[in-house]
Amino acid sequence: MSGGDENTSDPFHGAPIDFDRLDTIRERFAADDRFKRIADQPAFAPERLVCVYDQRFYPERVRAARLEVVWFENGDFSLHYHEEHESGEFDHRWDRHPSGHNTRDHVHPGPDAPTPGDDTSHPADWRDVLSMVLSEIEDRQRAFWEE
Amino acid sequence: MDEPRDELKVDADERAEAPDFDALTPLEDLVRGDRTRDDFFDAVLALDSPATATDVAELAGHGVDAAREYLDWFERMGIVTQVTESPATYERNQEYLSWRRVQKLRQEYATEELLDLLKTESKREETLEREFNVKSPDEISISRYASETDRTIEEVWERLSAWQTARRRVALLERALTTESGDGADLQSAV
Repeated sequence: MSGGDENTSDPFHGAPIDFDRLDTIRERFAADDRFKRIADQPAFAPERLVCVYDQRFYPERVRAARLEVVWFENGDFSLHYHEEHESGEFDHRWDRHPSGHNTRDHVHPGPDAPTPGDDTSHPADWRDVLSMVLSEIEDRQRAFWEE
Repeated sequence: MDEPRDELKVDADERAEAPDFDALTPLEDLVRGDRTRDDFFDAVLALDSPATATDVAELAGHGVDAAREYLDWFERMGIVTQVTESPATYERNQEYLSWRRVQKLRQEYATEELLDLLKTESKREETLEREFNVKSPDEISISRYASETDRTIEEVWERLSAWQTARRRVALLERALTTESGDGADLQSAV
């Protein structure tokens, strides 16, 4: 890693977590049938939302599944999907942030979300990013039930 | 994203109880909220430069007339500020969002709780300040710092973002603990 110039876009100094965006996402997800509960810590200014999927979308071998959502004021984000199995785990991450080995937009694919990940490009609108991610998760959920 | 491995998939018995995915709220609607107001609120929160009513209408997915009405209302509430006259452009008022959060803090927490939270966040801030050994995260260039300290860009980005977040929290908590707040009173009467 050379600290090269690939991440010259603003800002160089990181940005605080976008508490308001997380609040908005929590409000919208809290009433949805997909999730059993949405947790955030600390509640007064959340640093991530832990969105726990309802168990009925998974076979019994999958003990639990959740999506962790982190968003920053400059538009950077990290969305981390995690499954716990009877034996083993599955992880997949969609990221936008400075990186020494990937472009700003990248994914760390399952089953173990390795570093470095794959370069990609995510939608510009945060709501499109979110629906893309939820839709990929839903595709995986549906696949559990197929022959 | 990969499909699940075969041994994780349901067996024939379980398959009979497959969930009805098609009955769920469509994702497009879920992430956008179900009110027109949400669409416009999302649109103005996403503004990073001055925008016209046409820009905002496009972002919100509604008509220009509705955009003008909402911008007018949002401006009276302090959610946006008007930047230019003709054409009229608006930008997100971060000050409003901070003010709103400070009001919530005052409503939801007792003074002792706020002091406890402030103590915790101040400690985090001090720890990070010591770690980077400068006064402000704005003095750090992520890529340069990473190569100088032989850490990965991700690690530095994470720590620096944590520092920015701790600073923001401290600022909000300090404001919530300040009983006299001129700008707050002004904004309150405007809503």
